[in-house]
Amino acid sequence: MAEVLGAFEQAVLLAVVRLRDGAYGRAILKEVQSRLDRDVAAGAVHATLERLERKGLVASRLGSGTPVRAGRPRRYYRLQPAGIRALNEAREAVDTLWAGLKWPLIKGRGIA
Amino acid sequence: MTTGGDARPPRWAEGVLRSMLASEHRDNVSGDLLEEYRTTIVPARGPSAADRWYRRQVAGFVWRATWPWALLFSGAFVVRQAFDFFVPTHDFYFRSLLTTYTAVALLAATSLWSAWRSGSFVAGVLVTVVMTQIAAVLSVLGVSLLLAIWHDSATMKAAADSGGVAEAYVLPFMAVIPALIVGTVAGAIGSVSRRLFSAGTAR
Repeated sequence: MAEVLGAFEQAVLLAVVRLRDGAYGRAILKEVQSRLDRDVAAGAVHATLERLERKGLVASRLGSGTPVRAGRPRRYYRLQPAGIRALNEAREAVDTLWAGLKWPLIKGRGIA
Repeated sequence: MTTGGDARPPRWAEGVLRSMLASEHRDNVSGDLLEEYRTTIVPARGPSAADRWYRRQVAGFVWRATWPWALLFSGAFVVRQAFDFFVPTHDFYFRSLLTTYTAVALLAATSLWSAWRSGSFVAGVLVTVVMTQIAAVLSVLGVSLLLAIWHDSATMKAAADSGGVAEAYVLPFMAVIPALIVGTVAGAIGSVSRRLFSAGTAR
């Protein structure tokens, strides 16, 4: 069984998937903010990326710096096979839980 | 509209951020924050609001580095208070000894871990000092909760005999003094060991 993912971990991993070759810290932060439609702390994304890398779900490499970053490098992330497995299992778990129910739930349509 | 091309966030905040980060993430994470500050936040909100945003982000990093230790530290303090309130004694020597050693061990562990992780002596001292103040607030809340639930005369007498309720509210904040001393020593050990270890593995 793959790693069980929290909702925020899924958001970060899916941002890495969507951004492909452009998945570095700030881009991931903006993608997560946009998808969750709320302000997200940079520290939360950074801590999650660090944890996901420790678990082997993503891998990273350093890119080059730019003047706007005072020459500091970007760290690019890419999904690892364990990350793909974890995301697939997370999706499967949600689909199983929702199987047979109409979405969105509406009070009165089979709901007390 | 203000452009943030060469705007700089508060130097002290950037210094705190860089000292807190693990050495392998120091440049890329501080670079991400600087890029966001210059390209999005300053143009959209102006320099003052952007500086506030930057300080908030740094506070988030400090909070993440300190809260688990603060929870442990305040937990130890509240447990000690609970023993004094509910299992009263006249001989506090053993309890005080145990509490002191536990507190010093937690302060040292906090500083060592932070300094080792970041390779920065400053991070060791800073995290330890901030941790004690967050722990102090949690301790006050914990003791207040205990007294809100159990405030019968026997418990209040035991509290008074163990140094008084006021002491339970003031003492946690005083931990900043041992935090400075223990944090300095352990921070120095942590950062020097990290450098020696890194030099050894690089060879």
